Amino acid sequence: MWRYRLAFLSLLWTDISYAQDEAKQIIKRAMDNNRGKSSYSIAEMIVHRPDWERKSSIKVWTEGTEKSLVRVIAPAKDAGNGSLLLGDEMWQFNPKVNRVVKLPASMAHQNWMGSDFTNNDMARADDLIDKYNHKLIAQEKHEGKTVYVIESIPHDDAPVVWGKEVIKVRADHVFLQQDFYDQQGNLVKSGVAQDLKIIEGRTIAMVFRMQKKDVPDEWTEFRMKEAKFDIAIPANYFTLANLRNARD
Amino acid sequence: MNKGYTLVAALAWRNLWRNPRRTTVILFAIVLGAWAMIVMAAYARGMSKQVFDNAIDNLTGHIQIHAPGYLEDPVIDYAFDSAQTTLKTALSDPEIAQFSPRVRVPAVVASERESQGVTLLGIDPVTEAKMSFLRKSIVAGNFFVSARDPGVIIGKKLAERLETALGRRVVIMTQDAHSKIADRGFRVVGIFDAMMDAQETGFAFISLGAARQMLNLENRVSEIAIKLHDPAHTDATLERLKLQLPALDVRAWYKLDMLAKLFQDTWEGSTFVWHLIVFLAMGFGIVNTILMAVFERTREFGLFQALGLKPGFILLQVWLEALLLLIIGLAIGNLVAWLSVLATGDGIDVSAFGQGLEMAKLSKVIPFVLTARDLLIANAVVLILGLLTCLYPAWRAARLVPAHAITRI
Repeated sequence: MWRYRLAFLSLLWTDISYAQDEAKQIIKRAMDNNRGKSSYSIAEMIVHRPDWERKSSIKVWTEGTEKSLVRVIAPAKDAGNGSLLLGDEMWQFNPKVNRVVKLPASMAHQNWMGSDFTNNDMARADDLIDKYNHKLIAQEKHEGKTVYVIESIPHDDAPVVWGKEVIKVRADHVFLQQDFYDQQGNLVKSGVAQDLKIIEGRTIAMVFRMQKKDVPDEWTEFRMKEAKFDIAIPANYFTLANLRNARD
Repeated sequence: MNKGYTLVAALAWRNLWRNPRRTTVILFAIVLGAWAMIVMAAYARGMSKQVFDNAIDNLTGHIQIHAPGYLEDPVIDYAFDSAQTTLKTALSDPEIAQFSPRVRVPAVVASERESQGVTLLGIDPVTEAKMSFLRKSIVAGNFFVSARDPGVIIGKKLAERLETALGRRVVIMTQDAHSKIADRGFRVVGIFDAMMDAQETGFAFISLGAARQMLNLENRVSEIAIKLHDPAHTDATLERLKLQLPALDVRAWYKLDMLAKLFQDTWEGSTFVWHLIVFLAMGFGIVNTILMAVFERTREFGLFQALGLKPGFILLQVWLEALLLLIIGLAIGNLVAWLSVLATGDGIDVSAFGQGLEMAKLSKVIPFVLTARDLLIANAVVLILGLLTCLYPAWRAARLVPAHAITRI
């Protein structure tokens, strides 16, 4: 879920008209569900590789679609590292060098904190809504509920490398799966949600795993530990000063 | 008097063939020397020309205009208005054959699997076609069809590295004029195959219109590249442009691509060193041969003098021998050199020597360029230095004392 938020993150709110096609509405509602007006969550991020595995804990605050702040709280070695997202710009803070770095375009396709997500996955998730053409291609059942299978094809000028994405959204507005295909139609990576729970009336996936297709033993998983929605967050929370200030 | 000269000339000619084997050997040495000088000069000239042509063709042009500061830090902040009147006036200079405005910024190109840092160029398809290597290097797809073409043209090597292909989309990311991240998808409409790998991996081309829109540049550009009718007028034109455009940074190609200038100078300089070495080897041979011929004829010269031939004529005779030797050798040498240059056709393929070539700004095939000037220099060097060195044996012959010479065994 957590990841959802980041992956799909800022998507939601864009000012597109609600009267558009059904597929787009389904995605949008799922994003709203994930994020609420604002949210706070604690999650565990596991980066798995064939010969090692790294676990860290992160806290995430979001507000609307444009603002989010991520802070690492464990292990101690990484604690204090943070990322701030405002719109499609991203800053990172490293307490060891006591420096805030704005992410240049050249790093957009590099890994976010060593995971299987790119910085772009984090910062540009809201592209999903208006830079793609969405089409409802099938319906399935999952635990008795309808699942909408949506094929999203990026516009020619969209800053998206994928040929298409296939997204599964359950009727209770939860993302079940997101598959990324290259332009020849081969699956490159996919994100899968597991362990759905109801928190504050929202169905939330407690586990979300992103896995590359051709290296099956490498993946990144987010495990939701705690989540709150529609909470009050101070106005100055999503600022560079606060990114630096690791008081959490 | 005239008869005297004719006699001396006849004597010189006959003496030359008195010992045909020796004369043939030294002739061979002169032919070889002349050949080596001329062919090496042609090779060096070919390299030098190629370095120059490659530099000019590799997006440099003869002269470039930038905003001050751009060359130190080639980012989007140093852009200038390409529509300003002073600039338009300056660019109407009759020496200017072609100019091409460009947006030129660092960027990242990403495909589904890889991403690569490149120099992103926004170009005007009409002017750029006559300016640089791009248009004639396209091997798949096509060149931009309009100034606002939405596609991207990348090199073959870059396409391989990104695991993408003609017709697929890539994402280009850079910074716009307001320091925000600018990114957009582009469909690959053309693939080019350049002479140098660095060109193929280092650049991505989009249309000027698309670049200006993506980067919020309005009427501004990063650079204007200029090609002249005659490269020899580069400096004069440069000065005129500088005077007319005091607010801009106008530079000639040798300030923009100093490495190319260095290589060019090195090649030209190497010709001089080569001429010197070849001549030294050849010169000693000639002096030795003539000296032998003189010593062998000590008694003869003594007799000539005893009969009343003036030492000046003896000197002249020996000198004429050397001159004939040099002229015959040079004539054959020039012919052989010309034939060998002709035989190489477009040049020699040196691709077997691999990637070092690229560092030296050379292509895989190096042409031989025979110029009248180089030919003249090689011949003059051999002839003048040859005659000067032969002054020594001639002088030795002329200052023989007849009584001693005749009685010498």
